[in-house]
Amino acid sequence: MTYTSFMRAQYAVLWRSKQDVLNALLFFVIVVTLFPLGIDPSPAFLTPAAGGIVWCATVLALLMAIEGVFKEDYRDGSMEQWVVSGLSLSLLVLIKVMLQWGAVVLPLLVMTPLLGQMLFLPNDDLGVLMLTLLLGTPSIFLMGALGAALTVSLKQGAMLVMLLILPFYVPVIIFATSGLQAAQAGLPYSGFLAMLLAMSLLSLVVSPFLSAIAIKASVN
Amino acid sequence: MSWAWLHKFGSPKWFFYWSYAWARPLFVSGLLVLVVGLIWGLAFAPEDYQQGNSVRIIYLHVPAAMLAQSCYLALGIAGLVGLVWRIKTAAIFINAMAPIGAVMAFIALVTGAIWGKTAWGAWWVWDARLTSMLVLFLLYMGIIALQNSLEEVALADKSAAVISLVGLINLPIIKYSVVWWNTLHQGATFTLTDKPAMPASMWLPLLVAVIGFYVLVVGLVLWRMQSDILWRERRTSWVKQEVTKHGVY
Repeated sequence: MTYTSFMRAQYAVLWRSKQDVLNALLFFVIVVTLFPLGIDPSPAFLTPAAGGIVWCATVLALLMAIEGVFKEDYRDGSMEQWVVSGLSLSLLVLIKVMLQWGAVVLPLLVMTPLLGQMLFLPNDDLGVLMLTLLLGTPSIFLMGALGAALTVSLKQGAMLVMLLILPFYVPVIIFATSGLQAAQAGLPYSGFLAMLLAMSLLSLVVSPFLSAIAIKASVN
Repeated sequence: MSWAWLHKFGSPKWFFYWSYAWARPLFVSGLLVLVVGLIWGLAFAPEDYQQGNSVRIIYLHVPAAMLAQSCYLALGIAGLVGLVWRIKTAAIFINAMAPIGAVMAFIALVTGAIWGKTAWGAWWVWDARLTSMLVLFLLYMGIIALQNSLEEVALADKSAAVISLVGLINLPIIKYSVVWWNTLHQGATFTLTDKPAMPASMWLPLLVAVIGFYVLVVGLVLWRMQSDILWRERRTSWVKQEVTKHGVY
């Protein structure tokens, strides 16, 4: 196994399980729909709340998508092959998570303008929302992968991953929605984007390394 | 510098006998100091000129909140020690500490809500410190849930160490993000650099209560660790000897 063959195999796996990606995206749409139904469908509520609604839905949908990312590999034994392959386990984890990120986040970004319209988000702020999604979601994915790695040996781990990992999403959600609110108020927002990028970079340092430790302990 | 002393802590048996003499005296003296601090604070300290008698809940609230944060710091450091030096005792420590920290965070939240009702007129406000304490409580519950779900001891130990370490890295970020987000709570009661803003008749009993809480928790942790060690090492001969000699605790 080499890094390229691993990447190609993971790409094929992703392509053959596209229903999972689709499910995450549909879940995202449904959560967004629940907010106007449950609270208030008027633009007066939705325009200022749009960023928060999209971000909460994104976090939940992405966590659903990432929570079981290593399950199949653990069950069919390919995870053992990763460990004994002699390649860097952290790098393999990173490749897998980044492929998954591309598969889920890129379609989600494509859908965001549509949902922005449904939530009466002004067109000027749409770009900022998409930027926060682009810069913040790597952190969501990487931390989620750590939760997935920690619970890989459990049969039913989804709830546990939520409980473990959601607290770590607090800063990302705060910086993303504050950035959007600043943009809506006409204030500078580049600082919030920088913080989001910093969070993603920090997760990049911490998560693959610790996920590899967790995977090694789970496989033994 | 020699690290040999550190490796001694890696032996649960050595740790059991080393801490054997400490747990009970620490626990009892902590309890005594705490009771002194609480009685002093609740009955003899002056009341606040604005908040009246309701300020007395500070003698329970502040120590619990400080402990909740200190316990997490200790958890994170133990996680690092456990992962880097593979010291078994660190995992036992995380096992013993996490529920105590959760209880401390819970006490801080409940007393804070009661105090908030009298001081701000609301049980809960979305203020930075309240929110970060709630997040801290959830982090503790996550660690406990992870430990309880994983059957295999070695895996549960390592996973708890990993998540504690990640929590330690992220806790300052979570805290400051929430602070930027919203701040209503008063500043810290004790800082290392400034003199407290309260008169000595109020902060002295508070300090006593804080020290009492710390000592109590150290004693409690050692005690919990000892029972965990006995359980984990139950198949070894030294535990069998210990139990047959002294009976079950």
